[in-house]
Amino acid sequence: MGHPLSRLSPLAVRQMMLTFGNLLLLAYIFYCTQLRGQGSFLQELSGFGPNAAPRLLGALALTGIIFTGAIDLSVGAILAVAGTVFGILYHYHASPGACFAACVLTAWALSAWNGLLVRVLRVPAIIVTLGGLTFYRGVALVAADLCIPAYSEQISVQGDAYHLPGTHWAGWILLAALVVAVVAEHRSKWPRLWLALGCSPDACRLKGLSPGGVLQSAFLCGGVFLGLAALTETCNSLTIEPARLGLNFELMAIGAVVLGGTNIFGGEGSYLGTALGGVFLYFVGKALLYAGVSPNWHSAVQGALILLVIGCDCALHRRRRRLEELR
Amino acid sequence: MTLDVLRRGILPLLLIAEIVCFAPVCGVSGASPAEFFESSLAFGSDLAVRAAPLALLAFGMTLVLATAGVDLSIASAAALVAGVMSLCQPGMSFWWTAVPLGIGLGLLLGAFNGWLIAGLDVPPIIATLGTLFFYRGLAEIVLGDRENAPFGDVPGYGWLGSVSGALILSGIVLIGGGLYFTWSRWRRELLMLGGNRVAARYAGIPVFWRLFQVYALMGLLAGLAASCFTARDGSVKASSWTGYELQVIVAVILGGTRVSGGNASIFGSTMGVLLIVVLDEGLHGLSFTYPRALPFDVSHLQYLLMGLLLVGGVWLNTHLGAKRVAASR
Repeated sequence: MGHPLSRLSPLAVRQMMLTFGNLLLLAYIFYCTQLRGQGSFLQELSGFGPNAAPRLLGALALTGIIFTGAIDLSVGAILAVAGTVFGILYHYHASPGACFAACVLTAWALSAWNGLLVRVLRVPAIIVTLGGLTFYRGVALVAADLCIPAYSEQISVQGDAYHLPGTHWAGWILLAALVVAVVAEHRSKWPRLWLALGCSPDACRLKGLSPGGVLQSAFLCGGVFLGLAALTETCNSLTIEPARLGLNFELMAIGAVVLGGTNIFGGEGSYLGTALGGVFLYFVGKALLYAGVSPNWHSAVQGALILLVIGCDCALHRRRRRLEELR
Repeated sequence: MTLDVLRRGILPLLLIAEIVCFAPVCGVSGASPAEFFESSLAFGSDLAVRAAPLALLAFGMTLVLATAGVDLSIASAAALVAGVMSLCQPGMSFWWTAVPLGIGLGLLLGAFNGWLIAGLDVPPIIATLGTLFFYRGLAEIVLGDRENAPFGDVPGYGWLGSVSGALILSGIVLIGGGLYFTWSRWRRELLMLGGNRVAARYAGIPVFWRLFQVYALMGLLAGLAASCFTARDGSVKASSWTGYELQVIVAVILGGTRVSGGNASIFGSTMGVLLIVVLDEGLHGLSFTYPRALPFDVSHLQYLLMGLLLVGGVWLNTHLGAKRVAASR
């Protein structure tokens, strides 16, 4: 009879730890806002949607792709292209609906294009999307230069209607996306196929599945979340800077995914874990602000946290993995 | 045989094509033999100075990728090392305080990566993603919003950023290290480790120790590269050299080193670095000489071409390599 926790899967233990950590951080923020009078707790909660939605949606987009053992390093650059398309349409007085649709569709199409390239070229996804990271950034800059006369490195977007998805709707968009992802994870066959592909491409092939097709479906579905991430990120700011929009976005999104317990090599993970990991990173940033820690420390603390959680997890399961490796 | 020659010749051919295309816009003039010689020398010097720190990093990254790993934290480590060095007093004493401190710190940062990866079994991409944030955050703590520039006041420090310094330093590492890597048992052990870790363990290769050595060496080279960068640029801030890790990875992969490990080429990586540096320099020259050559800023082409080079280069390498293997069967 071991400890009750030892009967749980490592993924479930990680999710429990993250839930506990999130509650602890939320309690600290509540203490700072209510008891120390450092602002309003409700205001802090209402700011969660607009501030956290883009990164969390990006992490959800990457989760399905990482399930398959692939990765998309170009998500930040795709965001830049989608934001630039939004800005160009705004410049030519397109309606808000047209700008939103074009932004979402651009990100979705580029994600689907990445999947197609990986499938057709038979080059590892990390290479294709590493190339995409620089290529798409260039596309965004060239498109802005070509389509906007007297372009001055940023596109100013005025008018409340153009900012609704990034300010008022972001929390609801995130909630809807999360519910869809978690329900699909339990009800749909696709996330299971992605996990199966991540576990063993050979077994998938022997079962009669097309690994290329399964991989492409992960990029297609991830593109939907990425489109929403692009929409909430672009609409959250008064200016769009193609050279800076989405910079380091991929690294923060991958950080949330791995913190949530998804195996970076595929075959194991969950959407709920990703959401909890992303929320944890967001609350850590907020808690540091309330603790009066200089913003210069935030990056170091976030990096140290990722290392601490994953380092402990890896060290705990080291013996089991070594035995599996040698079996 | 023909395919093999073609595969090995692609990178030098691409490099020659790039140099021929971009030399005229980078100031190389053929008005007279003497002028051609002088302007070519200036162009070559610029390339050497720009390529030296990248080549040092690419050497280390080649070894890391050979073991099926990756190090995303090199640029952050270089910024942290340079930030700590910039706190030391300028003057002659800088040479025996800041420089050894920087190199030692680089070694320590690399050893920390090595301990995470080899000791705790953290996947390299995750471990170095974490240290990317961690080291950059430490650099922000050390430097804040300041831009420190004590390097110009250190006697003789500029030599590290000059042509002779760049050539000597990168020559020692690339030629000396490359020869050792090519002929030593260490190379075979690293490649076996990258190709099949279980087999390497069964073959008696000290997996922990080899991985630790590779990442510590990568950190040491990041410390050396920080010296080159600071000697060349003259200053450092917390956000310095952001994105260089991707340039280095692109150069190494372009050179034929497999991301999945088991295959590495120092010569290929050097070619990859030169391809990227010539492209960068050429596009800067183009945007300076013909600012209105295209309806958009010419320097943006760098992003497009680097992406295409990477995917195209890897595809050609894999495609031709696969055909070669099939033909030899």
